[in-house]
Amino acid sequence: MSDLVIIDRRFIARGEERASTMKFMLWLVPWIAMLVFGIYAAALCLYYGLNQTNMDNRFAFGLWIFADLSVIAMGAGAFFTGFLVYILKQEELKPVLNSAVVVGLVCYSGAVAVLMVDVGQPLRAWFTFWHPNTHSMLTEVTFCITCYLIVLILEYLPVLLRNRQLQKIPSFLVFEHQFHKLVPVLAAVGAFLSFFHQGSLGGLYGVLRGRPFAFREHFAIWPTTFFLFILSAIAVGPSFLLLVVATVEGVTGRKLVEPSVLRKLGFISGILLGVYVAAKSIDTIIWLNVTSPSVGFAPWEYYAYKPFGSAILFSEIVLLGLLPAILLILPKTRAHRGLLLLAAALTCGGVLLNRFVLTVQTLALPTLAFDDFLKYTPSWQEVATFGAVIAYGVILYSLSYRYLPLFGHSKGEEKHVSVG
Amino acid sequence: MKVSRRDLLLGTAGLTAGVFFTPVPWKVLDDVSIWTQNWPWIPQPAHGPVTTKLSSCTLCASGCSIRVRMAAGFPVGISGAASHPLTQGALCPLGFAAHQLNWHPARLREVRHHGRSASWEEASAAFEKACAEGPVAVIDGRSGRAASAVLQAFATKHNGSYEVVLNTEEKSLSPCAQWTGVPVNSLGYDLENARTVVSFGAPLLDGWGVPGRFTHLWSERAAGKTDPQLRLIQIEPSLSRTATNAWRWVPICQGTEALLAASLAKILIEEHLVSSPGPLPPASLTEAATQTGLTPTAIRDLAYAMVERRPTLVIGADENPAVAALNVLLGSLGVSGGIVKKPATPFAMPQTSAGRTPRRAVLVDSTVPWEYIAPSGAEVFRFAAWDGGGNRADWLLPAPGFLEELTDLPTPPTSAVAVYGIAPSLLIPSAQLKTAAEFAQQIDSTLPTVDQTIHARCEGIFHAHRGSVNSEKKFPVAGFESAAKLEEALRTGGIWLEDSSSAAALKCSLKEWPTDSPTRVSGNWANAWAAPVMPTLAAKLYRESSLRETPQRSQS
Amino acid sequence: MSARYGMVIDLDRCTGCGACMVACAVENNVPTSPARVTDRTGLTPMLVHKVSNGLEGSGHREVFIPVACMHCAHETPCVSVCPQQAVEVDQETGIVMQIPQRCLGCRYCMTACPYHARYFNWWDPSWPPGMEKTLNPGVATRMRGVVEKCNLCHARLHTAMERAAAAGKKEIDMADYVPACVEACPTNAILFGNLANPNDPVSQAVHSPDTFRLLARLGTEPKTYYKSHQAWVRALAERSPNGHVTEAQHV
Repeated sequence: MSDLVIIDRRFIARGEERASTMKFMLWLVPWIAMLVFGIYAAALCLYYGLNQTNMDNRFAFGLWIFADLSVIAMGAGAFFTGFLVYILKQEELKPVLNSAVVVGLVCYSGAVAVLMVDVGQPLRAWFTFWHPNTHSMLTEVTFCITCYLIVLILEYLPVLLRNRQLQKIPSFLVFEHQFHKLVPVLAAVGAFLSFFHQGSLGGLYGVLRGRPFAFREHFAIWPTTFFLFILSAIAVGPSFLLLVVATVEGVTGRKLVEPSVLRKLGFISGILLGVYVAAKSIDTIIWLNVTSPSVGFAPWEYYAYKPFGSAILFSEIVLLGLLPAILLILPKTRAHRGLLLLAAALTCGGVLLNRFVLTVQTLALPTLAFDDFLKYTPSWQEVATFGAVIAYGVILYSLSYRYLPLFGHSKGEEKHVSVG
Repeated sequence: MKVSRRDLLLGTAGLTAGVFFTPVPWKVLDDVSIWTQNWPWIPQPAHGPVTTKLSSCTLCASGCSIRVRMAAGFPVGISGAASHPLTQGALCPLGFAAHQLNWHPARLREVRHHGRSASWEEASAAFEKACAEGPVAVIDGRSGRAASAVLQAFATKHNGSYEVVLNTEEKSLSPCAQWTGVPVNSLGYDLENARTVVSFGAPLLDGWGVPGRFTHLWSERAAGKTDPQLRLIQIEPSLSRTATNAWRWVPICQGTEALLAASLAKILIEEHLVSSPGPLPPASLTEAATQTGLTPTAIRDLAYAMVERRPTLVIGADENPAVAALNVLLGSLGVSGGIVKKPATPFAMPQTSAGRTPRRAVLVDSTVPWEYIAPSGAEVFRFAAWDGGGNRADWLLPAPGFLEELTDLPTPPTSAVAVYGIAPSLLIPSAQLKTAAEFAQQIDSTLPTVDQTIHARCEGIFHAHRGSVNSEKKFPVAGFESAAKLEEALRTGGIWLEDSSSAAALKCSLKEWPTDSPTRVSGNWANAWAAPVMPTLAAKLYRESSLRETPQRSQS
Repeated sequence: MSARYGMVIDLDRCTGCGACMVACAVENNVPTSPARVTDRTGLTPMLVHKVSNGLEGSGHREVFIPVACMHCAHETPCVSVCPQQAVEVDQETGIVMQIPQRCLGCRYCMTACPYHARYFNWWDPSWPPGMEKTLNPGVATRMRGVVEKCNLCHARLHTAMERAAAAGKKEIDMADYVPACVEACPTNAILFGNLANPNDPVSQAVHSPDTFRLLARLGTEPKTYYKSHQAWVRALAERSPNGHVTEAQHV
C-alpha cells in the first residue's frame, strides 16, 4: 500500500496539494463500479443486439441520442472558451481553459462511444466516410465530430504531457513546447468544426419534413434549428464549465480560480442565452402559426398529450431560458454565488429539455391521422450505458485534476498554460 | 544512435502516411464490411432454378388451388391459382405461409406412446390388437376424400363405425339436412344467385367457407356501393370484419340469435311478408326487443329489409335450428339463391355409420380438429403432422405435412356446385410419416390405396361425361380422350366443375318452430383455429400488429 | 423510358384480412418472430391498420388501411437523411431502394418517415431448423441492426425485366410484375401499375375525386393512393383536416 502511495505521489506535481491516496481511491471506487456495470450493459447490447433496449420502430431514437446531443451541447464549452481566449483575446478565462478541454474530451469521446453501441452495425461506421451523402445532416455531424474529437485529443496531449513524470522524458517536453505554436490554429479549427456540428445536430431535426413538430423554416440549406442549436450550445458551454469548476472546488475544498472568472463565464452565458431565448421565441411563433399549419398540423395539438403539455414549452423558454438569462446578466444576482450556480444549472436544464423535446417528444407525437401518442422508458441497459459515460467523465476529470496542472501554474513551475 | 526529436516527429508522420499506401488498412476495411454482411449464422436462400407447380392447400376443407414456387426442391412461395372456379385465385392469409409449416417447431416426426418414443410396428400391433378386442371408431375431419373412402371401408370391414366431425359451416346446414333428408355434404348455399344474405354471426368475409368465394362476390357487387346488388346484413354482437363491411350491421346481445330469428319469423308470417304459412314461432316482439337490445321498430325494419330483395339466404354461425328455419319461411330451400342440393358426384361418397359402444379404440385422422375429445375409455390413435400440445391421445402418430401427401379435394362444404380436384404431393415425405388411410391400408391390404381410389374416381367422372375441367382454359369432360388424360389434367392443377343445372326442389318436414338451443359458436380460423398450429408468419397479424386477436383453439 | 410504379388501394374493398401482410413477409424472407416481439418491434413491411372514426353507438365506423412504403417522389424524407446513401430513389422505376448491406443502423431514416413504413432488425434473423429451405431465392436475407422496408417486390420486377429481355422486348409486361401484396389481396383492393403510363388503369384511377393520399400536405408526393366513398375515411388523409385535431383512433 505504501508503495502505491509513493508512486501516486510521484505523479503529482511538486508543491501541489492533493487528497491522500486512500481518499482518492475511495472516491474513484463507486465511479469505477458504475463504469464497469455500464460497460457490461453495453457489451450485452453489442452481443445480443439492440433488442436489449426499449427502443422500437416508433422510438428509433431514445435515451442515448438524447444523451449524445446533451453531452455534446455541454461540451461546447471546450471550443467556445478556446475561441474566447485565443480569437477574442479574453485572457482572464485562461485558468479554466484546460478544464474546458478535459470536459470537451470527455463529452465527445463519451458521445462517440455511446454512438458505437447505438448503431445496429458498428463495424460499418466507416461507410459514412466512404459513401458520404452531402444532403444529410448526419454525414456532416459524423465528419465534424470525428475531426473535432481528433482536435480535442491533440489539445489534451500537451496538458497530459505536463504531468511531472512525463515531463522527465525529453522528447515529450520538446514535443509539448513545439506543439504550442499549433494551439491557436487548433483553436480556430476547433471553433469552425464545432459551429458546424453543433448546428448540424440541430439540423438533424429541423430538416425532418415528415415530423412537423421538429421541422422549421430554412435559411438557404439550414433550418432555424441549426442556428438555435449553435446559440444554445455556446450559451450552455460556459455555464456547464462554470458548474464543473464550482463542483470541483466544492469537492476538493479548494479555491481553484478567482470568482471573477466564474462570474465572467456566467455573464457570457447569460448574454448568449438571452439572444437564444429571443431567437427561439421568434422561431416558435413562426413555427406554430405558419410552418406547422401549412402542412396540415394544427398548432396546439402537439401539446394535447399529458405529460407533454404546453408547460414544457413554457419551461423551456421562460423558466429555464429567460429566467437564468436574467439572473446571469444582472450583476447583483450574478455576484451571489448561489444564484450564479443556480442560474447555470437552470441554463443546463433548459438545453437538456430542448434536446429531450426534439428527440423524445418528436417521436412520441403522432403524424398519421390514426397514430397514437406513444410512451417510451429506457431499459436498464440504456441507463447503465449512459451512466458509464458519466462515470468515465468523472474518472478522467479526477485523474486529470490530480495529476495534471489543470488550473494553471503551480509553485516552482513555469507560469505557462498549455492549450485551449 | 541518437534519436532526435526531429527523427521522432518525421518518423511518426512517415509511418502514418506510409501505412495508407499499403493495402493493409483498405483490405481490412473491406473485409470488415463483408463480414458484417455474411455472418455465418444468417441463413441464405438456396440457389437453383425456380419452377412453378400447381397443387391445392390442405389446411382446411376449402381446397383452394395454389401455385407453388419451388427452388432446389423446396417450396419457396405460394399464391392463389385462378383456375379454381370457387376461389377466383384468392387464399386466406394462412395459405401464403403454409409451405413453412413443415418446419414448424411443433412438427411431429416420431411415433409417441404416452409421451415416450415408440415405433410404427408397436402402434400397428396395438391397433390390430384393439380391433380384435372390440369395436373401433374411425373419426374423419374432412369427409368425401379418397382417404375418407379408405377409412370408411376399413371401418365397415372391421365392424367399426365411421364418424365425421363437422366444421361450423357444415353444422349450419345440419338442421336443413335433417328436415330435407338430404345429407349435409350434399347441401350448399347458392350465394352466387342470392340478392340478400343475412348472416347471424357467420364470418362471411373473414375465412368462412371458401375464402375467395364470398369475398369476390361481395367485392364485385357490394363493396363501397350505397345501394349494392348484393346486400349483406350481419347480425352479431361485436363489430367484426364482416360486420364493418356489411351493408347493415345489426348489433344484438350475445346468445340471442334464436330469439331474434323467432321474432323475425313471427313478423314475416303475421305481416304477410312471406307466402308460405310456415310454422309460427311462439315469440313476443317486446321480449325479443328486450333480450336482443334492439327496438321493436328495428326488428320490424330488419324483417322488411330481409324480404325487400329476394332471393334471401340466411346463414348461421353454427348449428342454430331457429336461424336455419328462417330459410324455410323465406322459401329459400331448394331454389336458386337459397339452400340447394348439389347433384350427386360421379363417384361414391363415404357415408357415416354408427357403431357399437363402448369403443375399444378410436382412430383419429389428422384432419380432425386438435381439441377433439375421444370417448373416455377408448385407446386413442391420433394422427397429426404437428403436436399442438396438451392432447390426451394415447398414441400420437406423425402424419405427412403440407404438400407432402397425395390427396383429393371433394366439393367444399357450403359450395352450391360440385367440384373435384387432386392435390399432388410436391415434397417427398420421410418414410416415418403415414396418413391414417395408409396405416389402415397397411393393416388390411385388401383395401384400395388412396391412389387407386383417386384413379377410380377419375374414371367415374370421365364416364359420366358431365362437367368441365378448369385450368388455364375450360375443357369439357367430353373432350378428353381417356380417363388417364383427365386424371393427368386434374393432377396438374385442373379443377373439375359440374355442369350448372337448375336447383332441385326440396321437401321440408319442418312442422313446428324449432326450440332446440343452438350449439356453441366456434368461429372461424381467425379466432378459433382447429389445426394444432398456425404458420409462424401468421404472427405478423396478431403479435406484430394489432390487426387481429391472438387465435384461440377451437372447441369441438 | 422510365416508369413510376404506384398503387391505388380501395379502402371500401379492404376487409382487413391481412393476406397482404403475410404474403409480403413470405416474399421478402422476413424471419420468424422472436419470442419477445411486440407490435412496436415487429417487422411488417406491409402493415394493415384498423382505424375507427372515434364515435360511439350507431355512428361508429371502422376501416382498414394497408400502409407500406409510399415511395415518395418529392424530397423523399428518408433518402436525404441517410448518412451513407443506403437509400436511393431509382430513377428508372421511382422505387425507393434500401440497401441493407450498406445500412449502418443509425435509424435516422426511421425518424424521418412520417408513415412509419420503416422497420429495424432488432434481433438476429433466425428460423426454426430447416425452415430456411423455404427462403425466397430472389431476395437477400438481412442481418441484425439494419433497417428495411417495402421495395415494391423488386425481385419480381427483376424477373419481369429478364423475361422481357429474353423475349427481345424493351418494356416489361405488367402481368409479369405483380407485387406480393397485390397478388394476395382476395378482393383485388390494390391496383398496381405505372403512374407514368397514361394508359395504365392506375394512372387513370388516381384522378377520381374519391382518391386521396396520406399526409399529402407534407409535400412528399407519395405514390400510394387510397380511395373511398366514405367522407370520414377521406378525411383521414390529414392529421388536422379542418384545423381541429382528428377524432380518428387506432383500434
